Amino acid sequence: MDWKRYTFIFLIITVLFGAVVMVGISKSPPILTITSMLATTIAVATPLTLGALSGVFCERAGVVNIGIEGMMLTAAFFGWLGAIYMYHVFGFEKWPSIFTGLIAAIFAGALMGLLHAVLSVTYKVDQIIGGTVINILAVGLTGFLNRQLFFGKGSAFGGHIPNSPGNLLNIHVPLTETLAPICGGSTSCLEIVRAINSVLDQRPIAISAIVLVFVSHYVLFNTRWGLRTRAVGEHPKAADTVGINVVKMRYINVVIGGALAGLAGAYFTIESVPSFEPLLTNGRGFISLAAMIFGNWSPIGSWVASLLFGASQALQINMQIFRDAIPPGWGFLQQAYIVGLIPYILTMLILTGIIGRTIAPAADGTPYEK
Amino acid sequence: MKKFYGLFAALLVAAMILPACAPAEVDCSKEDVFCVGLVTDVGKINDKSFNQSTWEGVQLAKQQLGANVQYIETSDAKDYEKNIATFGDANYDVVVTVGFALGEATIAAAAKYPNIKFIGVDQLQAETVNGVSGLSFPEDQAGFLVGALASMMSKSHKVGAVCGTDVVPPVWRFGEGYKAGAAYADGMNGTSTEVFVVYHSDVGFDKTFTDPEWGAQTAKSMMDQGADTIFGCGGVTGNGAITAAAQAGGYAIGVDTDQYLTLPEAAPRMLSSAMKLITPSVFDLIKAAKEGTLQSGNVYGPAGYAPYHDLDGEVPAEVKTAMEKINADLLSGAVTTNVPPVKP
Repeated sequence: MDWKRYTFIFLIITVLFGAVVMVGISKSPPILTITSMLATTIAVATPLTLGALSGVFCERAGVVNIGIEGMMLTAAFFGWLGAIYMYHVFGFEKWPSIFTGLIAAIFAGALMGLLHAVLSVTYKVDQIIGGTVINILAVGLTGFLNRQLFFGKGSAFGGHIPNSPGNLLNIHVPLTETLAPICGGSTSCLEIVRAINSVLDQRPIAISAIVLVFVSHYVLFNTRWGLRTRAVGEHPKAADTVGINVVKMRYINVVIGGALAGLAGAYFTIESVPSFEPLLTNGRGFISLAAMIFGNWSPIGSWVASLLFGASQALQINMQIFRDAIPPGWGFLQQAYIVGLIPYILTMLILTGIIGRTIAPAADGTPYEK
Repeated sequence: MKKFYGLFAALLVAAMILPACAPAEVDCSKEDVFCVGLVTDVGKINDKSFNQSTWEGVQLAKQQLGANVQYIETSDAKDYEKNIATFGDANYDVVVTVGFALGEATIAAAAKYPNIKFIGVDQLQAETVNGVSGLSFPEDQAGFLVGALASMMSKSHKVGAVCGTDVVPPVWRFGEGYKAGAAYADGMNGTSTEVFVVYHSDVGFDKTFTDPEWGAQTAKSMMDQGADTIFGCGGVTGNGAITAAAQAGGYAIGVDTDQYLTLPEAAPRMLSSAMKLITPSVFDLIKAAKEGTLQSGNVYGPAGYAPYHDLDGEVPAEVKTAMEKINADLLSGAVTTNVPPVKP
């Protein structure tokens, strides 16, 4: 565990939250500001967390994955397409269709992972180029299919995009109902409970992302399989000598990474909004790559880093909400893009080693040749 | 290693060929062939917003004027010039470019292709350029109308707007108009409404209108802060906000077109839309171009607000009357929004 780094990141997040609370104090009670920002932070961090986990699995096994963005985009498209086909063409009910979409997204991500594995493990392609190919392919493939399937001649949907069956909604945690009697008649107590409840009410993929962070951390650092994965990424020759099948380990991990990127893709079209737009992942795959490096190639670290990126987006939104209350002389806080720079500047700082060095797996990016 | 090169090459070729789609061949240079080309902004032709509305206007020209129509979707802001030139080199009669961001490229193309009429949607002309008709709308008035409506309908007296970048003047005018409208209705009814306007200015033109996830999160964030009415103004980004607001049970307000019709997932909670009547205006301009009566310079189209549809029963009669009065006053000039054409 990298406590120094986590403390540093949490300190920054606290400062960001504190700044918003201070600015917004005349407009909104602090508890409401904090819980609203927390809820945004967790939700926004979801695709970044999953994307970073995808990177962690690939790179811990020694395969650089800069194709996360492409994997996400492909998965977002096929997840949405799967849901629509089940709903409209095969006439399934709403929830089975959405669930199929979710599976389709994970499957599409895994397939892209498999492609990356074939390129980089079997054919020993330069892994940066392999990842770039995946990113370019994803843009072309999804854009082309999106147009051909819905607007092409003889399209099953006659020139328009049909309704998606819907998206995954918040899971309500019955905290308010449980604690209401304790509050008695106090409205301020109820307000606080309700505010905390709004943080806990997250959507299914957001919750599973957090669960997956801890599962991945346990698997990578406390199981035999995780040890082998890391061995393959650090010193494949040694791993091979003791009888670990390097190629097999790399394949499995890259496909797992693809599936995780697929789940991140599903976040966009199955959970966040029920629609697909070309290029809708908007570079989040690359941000998750930064989060992974920021988090020193560990699942928990990546998650904490993703939370920082999420918090900075929450900061941008809230600084604009409280625009009128920003004290004179601090006008730069209104400039959304300046605030948006914070995580990137921090990433660069971290890369310089000021707060502990990040160390990539030793064999990261090198194909294994016997 | 040889095997890999083959595979790699195949992938690259596939990646390059897939996005390219050649337009159907018609000889537009002939006198009796009337060709209309449309170049979208980075948003897509099916954005359920301004690109789509413009395309519908062009398609009307196909049905009613027998025009040959074709569109090119811009996928990168660097390609504006190239995409316009594709139509220019094919001797199209009219080229419609959609969006403020294409303004400069359109003016440059007009100089290069003097025989082509250019219609620039959302392109306010600083000075009249021969061959360019800039179609603009009083977005501030449309924003004003829905701002007033939001203020009158909000129960929490907190309303929000989730917009694209404020660098684009029409978007900024929607946002400012929204604020001004809410303040106007407050003054009328003695209420006090807080207005949150958030722009997606932290990214470039290429992303600001195509980020539904950001829109949805921002809308949700506002609702966590107590807002119950959300105006989504900014292409697909706004659509995300509208959908999220509707799903959270708030009132959603659309933009550009009557989005009740284009966003079925949000329809049950669509209160209204701040409308720019793009489709008929574009059609009228194309028709004028065909008849040779199209004027260069600024042309203004009408703005308005969409019907309440499913929520008609929830809107009190006095609010409906007030809205009609505000609309009439804006048209007559008795009420002004005091929003300048561009951000100072």
